[in-house]
Amino acid sequence: MNIIETKQLTKSYGNFTAVSDMNLHIPKGHIYGFLGPNGAGKSTTMKMFLGLTSPTFGYFTIDGKTLSSGRIPILKKIGSLIEAPAFYGNLTGEENLDIIRRILRLPKSSIGEALELTGLMEHRKRQVKKYSLGMKQRLGLAGALIGRPPILILDEPTNGLDPVGIHEIRTLIRSLPEQYDCTVLVSSHLLSEIELLADDVGILNHGHLLFEGTMEALRDYAFHAGYPADNLEETFLAMIQTDNAARKRGGFQ
Amino acid sequence: MILSLELKKLRRTGYLPIFLGGSILASAVPLVNMTVRSESFTSLPGDSFPILMDANWGMMAQLTILLVVCGCCLMYHTEYADKGDLKMNTLPIRQFSLFCGKFGVTLLAVVLSLLLQSASLAFSSIHWFADRSAGLKELVHSMGYELILLLPTLTLMLFAASLCQSMWISLGAGVILTFLGSMIHEGRLMLSLLPFAAPYRMLHAVSPEDVNTCLIICGAQTLLFAAMEMIYLDTRRKFA
Repeated sequence: MNIIETKQLTKSYGNFTAVSDMNLHIPKGHIYGFLGPNGAGKSTTMKMFLGLTSPTFGYFTIDGKTLSSGRIPILKKIGSLIEAPAFYGNLTGEENLDIIRRILRLPKSSIGEALELTGLMEHRKRQVKKYSLGMKQRLGLAGALIGRPPILILDEPTNGLDPVGIHEIRTLIRSLPEQYDCTVLVSSHLLSEIELLADDVGILNHGHLLFEGTMEALRDYAFHAGYPADNLEETFLAMIQTDNAARKRGGFQ
Repeated sequence: MILSLELKKLRRTGYLPIFLGGSILASAVPLVNMTVRSESFTSLPGDSFPILMDANWGMMAQLTILLVVCGCCLMYHTEYADKGDLKMNTLPIRQFSLFCGKFGVTLLAVVLSLLLQSASLAFSSIHWFADRSAGLKELVHSMGYELILLLPTLTLMLFAASLCQSMWISLGAGVILTFLGSMIHEGRLMLSLLPFAAPYRMLHAVSPEDVNTCLIICGAQTLLFAAMEMIYLDTRRKFA
């Protein structure tokens, strides 16, 4: 069963199409890796799921709900970290999470739980503007995880983290579906990152979905399409380069 | 819930000290004025309250408007500085209710400021006009009237602050409008009821038939600016 589905989802800004005719299928309880170079349309798609921007054409359903039924019922199901971590720098980490907790009407214990999960417990009383980039990223994750939402949308969650932090956050995300019975949509421009995390992968370039399926299916697809199949990083690069070349030849914008 | 949430966001921003300091400054105006030149005012005929208002309200109103401008800009600066607004937009809460929360906080701060200023006027009335001191009822009516006249300025300023990601633009616009308002408030009735000019009007200086007109126009302006914010929030999402 797919918890998120899109049908011909399109987002245009004037003559520029950021997301084009996209049909995504994200199965419940899976980690779905959203992969693509910078400007491929990953963040725009995620923003549409959160109601931060409206689709120009097409639609999506999240747990059976569409945007026409309002943003609020959809947002109640989603924890998110979009672009850079967003917070109030004048408040402490704990106070930032308390604001989210109050809006979500969660018990006070949920703050401690989110802080523990992301390793921020000892820094909870420090003002966020004094946090390092990695700590801000962790706080953003804590804000997404608080209250154990059934769907997590994470836009490049390991940005700014050191190798140890990347490993910790990766392990945490990997454990989430089993621990909390949730679905994770995680974006990255690094295939090595997605390879270690995701059950399913969607590859995006210039707003077009080039491939969707399991990692195994991606290897099969690469083998049959004549792309290098031993190293997924090379598969990804070859797919993007072929698509870019085809666009140039076809005179795509 | 929204009100306490917005109050919490203002921790360590300097909002409270600014409002408190500004309110004390505005409250000090009649006290200083009466201390320095009490004879100029006590020699005037009539009740104490109109005399005190005529002598001091211009400066007090200007300081109150400046406080509203600073308060609104500071609140939205807190939202935009570290993208707190982006996080709020991804949570199950209506964006307009956050605006209403900010309106509530500013209104509360203005009420407290006006209470402090009322106390100062009451003290001046009792201390320097002991024999013809005005009643509490007159003071309450007058300050209630000023509060309603401040609402369009407050709502417009919040709307302007929500439009500008850079605090300096909304702050600059607010300061210019404050001084513009102080120049046009003595003109025609309709002109003097525009935001930033209306708070200079005083209850005792308005004819009884104009009082209701003033209140209705200010109420309508407040609703209009709130509606503009609603439309803006909706449009921003569509074109984001």
